[in-house]
This record gives sequence, C-alpha cells and structure tokens, in this order.
Amino acid sequence: MEADLSNYCVPRFRLLDDSQIKRIHHSVLRILDEVGVRIYHNQAIDLLASHGARIKANNVVQIPSFLVEAAIASAPSSLVIYNRDKAPVMDLGERKIFFGTGTDLPKSIDLKTREIRDTKAEDVVASTIISDAMPNIDFIGSYGLPKDVPTGLHYIRCFQLEAENSKKPIFFTAESQEDLRVIWEMAGAIAGNSEALARHPFIISYSEPTSPLSHSKEAMAKLIFCAEEKIPVNYTPALLAGSTGPVTLAGALAVAVAEALSGLVVHQLTNKGAPIISGVAATTMDMLEATVSYTSPEFRLTHSAYADLFHYYGLPIWGTAGCSDSHFPDLQTGAEYAFTLLNAALDGTNLIHDCGYLGQGFVASPELIIFADELIGMVKRYIHGFSLDTDHLALDVIKHVGPGGHFLAEKHTLDYCMQEHWRPAILNRKSLPNWLKNGKKTVNEKLVEKALEILQTHHPEPLSPEVKADLDQIWSAAQKKSRR
Amino acid sequence: MGVLEDIYTAVVDGKVDYAVSGVEKGLHSGISVDEILNKGLISAMDLVGERFGKGQVFLPHVIWSAKAMQAGMECLKPYLTGSQHEKTAKIIIGTAKGDIHDIGKNLVAMMLEGAGFDVFDLGVDVDSETFVQKAVQENADIIAVSALLTTTMINMADVVDLKNQKNLSSVKVLIGGAPLSTEYCEEIGADAYGVDAMEAVTKVRQLLNR
Repeated sequence: MEADLSNYCVPRFRLLDDSQIKRIHHSVLRILDEVGVRIYHNQAIDLLASHGARIKANNVVQIPSFLVEAAIASAPSSLVIYNRDKAPVMDLGERKIFFGTGTDLPKSIDLKTREIRDTKAEDVVASTIISDAMPNIDFIGSYGLPKDVPTGLHYIRCFQLEAENSKKPIFFTAESQEDLRVIWEMAGAIAGNSEALARHPFIISYSEPTSPLSHSKEAMAKLIFCAEEKIPVNYTPALLAGSTGPVTLAGALAVAVAEALSGLVVHQLTNKGAPIISGVAATTMDMLEATVSYTSPEFRLTHSAYADLFHYYGLPIWGTAGCSDSHFPDLQTGAEYAFTLLNAALDGTNLIHDCGYLGQGFVASPELIIFADELIGMVKRYIHGFSLDTDHLALDVIKHVGPGGHFLAEKHTLDYCMQEHWRPAILNRKSLPNWLKNGKKTVNEKLVEKALEILQTHHPEPLSPEVKADLDQIWSAAQKKSRR
Repeated sequence: MGVLEDIYTAVVDGKVDYAVSGVEKGLHSGISVDEILNKGLISAMDLVGERFGKGQVFLPHVIWSAKAMQAGMECLKPYLTGSQHEKTAKIIIGTAKGDIHDIGKNLVAMMLEGAGFDVFDLGVDVDSETFVQKAVQENADIIAVSALLTTTMINMADVVDLKNQKNLSSVKVLIGGAPLSTEYCEEIGADAYGVDAMEAVTKVRQLLNR
C-alpha cells in the first residue's frame, strides 16, 4: 500500500501544519522551562536536578528544553506488543491503529436484567471473554472496576482474571507501585521470567499525571518502576479545559502536552530507551453539569492536534474512542461511538482505548464492546481506501458486460467481493419485509443476544495449569499481605 | 463416492469446469443419473443455500455455485428420464411492461437456474401477451414477473388476467420486486410473492408442490 501510493486512494487527515506544530511545541517548552511542574516524588526531583533541571519552592521543577528534546529523541519511536504466547500483535507507531477497551468502570448494566448496578469480578471475566472473541479488539482492559474485590487488591484480581481469559495484550491500571509489582510478577510468571517479559511484553501499564502540571507520588513511582523494568507504560494526563486547564483548546493542549512530556523526561532519564506510549486527553468540563465529556467535539480537536504533534515527535501514541457520555445504550451512544472512532482512526493514534465505554467513564455495558468492534470494522474499511490499479478500474469487465448487462455473475465480482466490500455482522442491511419477518430486531437487541451467545460458546485458550497455579499463589500472597 | 464428492465440491466452490468434468466422469463410470443429480448437484446447492442463509457466503458465491450446478445439469439432461425431468420445471421470467430495471430479475433467474429449473428469460419490458404466449409455447409451469416501480407493477395484473382468460390454471404466477407485498399479490390474484431471490426459489418449490 505504501510502496504503491499513486495507485491507492486513502483518506488522509491532518489538523496542524508544520508551523502550527512548532508553535505549540515551542509553547510547551516555555511552560516546562518557565512554569515547571510540581512533583511529589523526591527521587524524581533529584534525578531531574542532577541532569540540569531547576528546583523551586513547593516541589516545583523547571525543565530546560534540552532535557525535553533529549527525552523525545531517546524514547523509542515504535513499540511491538506481544500476546500472552509471545506472538507480535501490535506494532505501535506511525499511523497504525489498534483498539481496545479501557479500565475502571464502577457501574455495569446487567446483560440479563438491564439494571444499572455495581460492577462485579464476574463482569471483568465476561468483558474479557467478549473482547477475546472480537476480531477488532486488539488489547484488553479490565473494563469494569469490581466492587466485590477489596480496594488495594482489585487491580491485581482484574489482571489475573483477564490473563486467565484471554491471551491478547493487557492494558491495566494499578493503584500504587505495590500492586503494580504484584501484577508484574504475575506477568513474569506467564512470560517465564522478568527478562522474557521485557523482551516480549504483553502488558501495558497505565498511569497519569494530575492536571494542571502535577505528578503525584504514586504516578511517579509507577512510571519509574515501569522504566526500570522496561514495562511498556502509558503516561498520559486527562485535562479538563476550563477547570484543570485553560478553557481555550490551544492552551489546554499545551498544558496537557507539557504534563505528558515532563513524565517522558523522568521516564527516559530513569532508563534511556525504555518503552513508553505518550499522548494526552484534553477534554472539556461541561460548564452546566460540571461533568467530564468523553466525546465533546473539542476533545476530538485536541485529539487530532496532539496526534499531529506526537507524530512529529515520533512517539507511539495513545488514543481515546468508542465511548459515550450517555448512561444507557441509545442513539447518543451510536452517534458518539461512530464519531470518535472515525476521528481517532483518521488521527492515526496507535493505542486507542475506551472502546465500549458509557456514562462518561462510569458505566459498563459489555454488549457495547461488540458494537465498538462492528464500528471499528466499518472505520477500518473506510481508512483502508481503494485501489486505482488496472484491475480495480475494471475496464475489461465494463467492456465485457456493456450497457444494460449486469456484473453479478462476473468472475471479477466473485474475485473482489470479499475484499472490496465490508459487511456488518450486527448493523441491519435486511430489506424491510425480511426485517419484519425476522422479528424486527433492533441493534440493541441483537447486541445483547450476541453477548449472551459469546459467553455461552466462546472458550478462550486457558493458561497452562502450572502458570495458573503460579498466579493463584501470587494472588493468595497478595491477599494475605493486604489483611495484615 | 470420489466422483460424487468431486461434483459436490465443484458446485459448492463454484467451479464450472470441475462440475462439468465431474458429471462426465460420473456418467462414464456408470454412476446413476439420479445419484449425480441428488447427491452431487442438488445437495451441494442445498449446502450453498444454507451457508448463504447464515451469511457465510455472499451472492456472487451462490451465483457461481449456481453456474456450476447449471453446467452440470446441461451434461445430465440427455440422460434424464421423465420423472427426473419433472424436477426441472419450466419457468418464464421477465420484468413487467414498462420496467427496464432487471438486476433483481436477473438474480432470481440465476437462483432458479441454480436450483435446477429450466428458466426462459424474456428480458425487460415484457407485455402480458408475450409472457402468456411463451408459457403456452414452452408448456411452462410458472410465469415470474418482476417490477421495481409502483407505476409498472400494476401491469403485473394484466399477466394474471390474460392467463386466466386463456384458462391456463396449471400455470402459476410468481411476482417480486421492491414495492411489492403479499397484500398486493393477493389483490391482483397472483399465486405467490417472493421477498428476495432465495425466497423466490422456495416459493417456486411450494407452487410446484415439491
């Protein structure tokens, strides 16, 4: 496709031109140098100071441009993520797009009763099994945050349940360095040992700075641990324009990027070349409801802008899409999923998370992972574009059929129908009479049916009994430790 | 069993040449016409229809399977006995007077051929006289009329009326097309309405009571 670009028509989208990228980057560098960031982690402050950063009162560190440029240069520009079996499955970099769920949804819409209730550990298993079955879901998050597992242990338990129910890469959160270490031990047990894990990473740790311009002790500790152990880490702020950042999108973007890059500096100073995925989420706070919008058009603008910026930096990029501010699967859900997924794909962000989200990051509804998968398929087909070569221009066939004939029975049609045309698995394409005859099913009904069917029929490849026993042992030890 | 399997696979995969060579080989090696027809050709199309119903294969695949089936049938025809011939009922097909939209009609014709029927395609813009005349001439079992427009679908009624005038009660009329419905079918006194090409085949089988 890349080699033969003249023959290929692909949708191309870019928001910023080169001079705009440089202007934003320059502003980011000035924020870091003139304002600085507050860091609640002494080791990180010392590290920055020893490399030429200026330490100010109240844990504020001003970072000169050369440190930022050096970190951008030393961080890898692409990153291969493997599955549980050490097969490469995500080559994060350039404009390659991969999709997955997110983490931490405290509420779940019950698949059978449709009530909104607290998320349980069994929901994490269910969403993992569904994600495992979906061809367009490339990586797996816990999706839910189970209430029936004690705080301090729930991320460990989530990771264990995910690893047991899918071999796809796992994108995970941890509360602190302590549970991160336990999760890393589990991942090491699966990979064989920590060196094997570092060579063929199948996990991505998520951690975030706190806007505006602050790094908590826990976030820094996790970031440094990941750098030391070469655990791929995603260190990206979630800034709210108008409250935790400037109301204007340009200002919000510059602050958020400064937060991400200051994290990158600490990460690369800790261990040059350690794997990191960068980016930001700079969205709006709703000025009437005081809520966080996951889908505002402004969020999509900053998403496009930072994508251009981080492509310029040459870093693997984190993205957000396939999510909705609605609390129940409805028209809003469909509109927001489609809008955000198409946007993220056009932006060419690499690790696109939050697919299947509802309720501004509070509500899970597992059948929506299937919905996201369907729309990702549609978007991928669009992004793929079409060929203009001789055979695709089809002049021979056009001559052969001539005016008034038909193309249905042509070999050309048979040869290309599968590759040229995408078909939905869930969205309706039935004629009205056939739809009426087949029970008048809405997409919502079909999604729930499909989710229940997958949970009955899809059996993910299990861990070996030995590895499973290792994880059980690590889990028991973690439980004992937390009771103390 | 090898040859029958080859024929079956050729039809399922839509390989016209293999279907022909398979049938010829089968006839040479003394496999009964009945077996070639039922176990080779028809059962293969049944599987293709089933896969199509499940969305596992698409229209072009069904069409090429139908082509393979039809090519196999052509080789078999000289050897068919009377009762076997009945399986290949004769169907006259065309679009209604005034209508030149024929992609749906073509699709139905291909599906019917694929199901083993003898299809006489009169093309587009066919008046009722031509339909009925051809039906008499070929001793046909069914007249199938298609229309896309509400302005042309009314001409389907003429076909039914003319056929009734001529007392051709054994000839059934099947109608189809986007604006049609079961209600309209009843209204004009046609014998069956097929919602799509696959259902057209089902309806033909029902009309023939097979």
